[in-house]
Amino acid sequence: MNAVNNWNSTQHFWLIILGFVVAFVPRFVPLMLFTKRAIPEWFNEWMKFVPVSLFTALVVKDIFIDISSYGLVLTNYPLMIAAVIVIYIAYRTRSMAVSVIVGLAGVFLLSMFL
Amino acid sequence: MNKRRPNPKQVPDPTEPMWRSTLRVAMPLNLSYIPIGLACGILLHAAGFNTFLTGLVSLLVFSGGGQFLIATMLTINSPLLSIVLMLFFLELRYALLSSSLSPYLKGQSNRFLFIFAVSLNDENYAINYLKFATDKKWTVREALAVEHYSLLFWATSNVIGSLIGSALKIDLSVVHFALTSLFLYMIVMQLKSHLTVLICLVSAVLAAFFMIVTKSTLGLVIATIVASLIGFGLEELLQKKMPNSHWLRRMHSPGSKKSAVEHSDAN
Repeated sequence: MNAVNNWNSTQHFWLIILGFVVAFVPRFVPLMLFTKRAIPEWFNEWMKFVPVSLFTALVVKDIFIDISSYGLVLTNYPLMIAAVIVIYIAYRTRSMAVSVIVGLAGVFLLSMFL
Repeated sequence: MNKRRPNPKQVPDPTEPMWRSTLRVAMPLNLSYIPIGLACGILLHAAGFNTFLTGLVSLLVFSGGGQFLIATMLTINSPLLSIVLMLFFLELRYALLSSSLSPYLKGQSNRFLFIFAVSLNDENYAINYLKFATDKKWTVREALAVEHYSLLFWATSNVIGSLIGSALKIDLSVVHFALTSLFLYMIVMQLKSHLTVLICLVSAVLAAFFMIVTKSTLGLVIATIVASLIGFGLEELLQKKMPNSHWLRRMHSPGSKKSAVEHSDAN
């Protein structure tokens, strides 16, 4: 997280425009199609597993992968413990804000002591 | 205290103006956007976004996960194409959300659908889906108002976060865990059967494997596609061969609003 990004604002602007396109298309196209005709069953059945697979993959990247060398790291104890706490809190409270705040506080305190 | 869940049984006051009744429905979500929006604004500032662009990205992309991803990938100097591709796969889940809202938006003009899609997001989806499923009087205008309130709070928190980021020195590795927590929260909210837990584990192993092999975040995309296809295939197979398998059994979840939605679906 120490690397400084050297893009300028014009590049950021184009990133936002492209980001808008890829964020907008998956929200709009199904809405436009499926308000007029029925949703194919297989599409729904498959899409059901996409978010959970992607979120898990992203969490694994954050906790177990060293992003500069793409090597496996199994010693990120503060993050590993904080992740377990967040899972428990999310399960009990079902609250997004509480989960995020506990996660931030947890990783802050754990990285001071570990 | 427990105002997080909108109470569908609440009797609406007919004299209450729409802007106030919808604000009341959206308020718990609006408040929970503040800490996450602040964290996101701080990270975007650290990634080099100025305050104006932070506001713009919050309005146009309007996705906590997406904006955190942009910030993180910028700080590790990922190329533009790889950021946009990752973002596309992250946002692809909205195809599922908007498909499931489509029965309630039948007959609306494409212009309305456009405006509705722009400000659709995981959390306002959860509120609107629950309201549409349980409240016959819930209109598309009210649903759109809830979306716009959450968009307003999200963008404002991001802009304030960006200003905080320029004023204070903050440990970014800690702030970055806000995103990890957000994803963990969303995983937990998605765990509906033992099969989804299994797919999580499969995806975790595949993600580590493909990232190490490809030496890039493209591994995430491959892992997601493979794991979701395995989940899709296994579920089809189990439903045909062993419809009573414990893998398909619904998991217990305390106070889940998603399960409330499913129950009202079954009725």
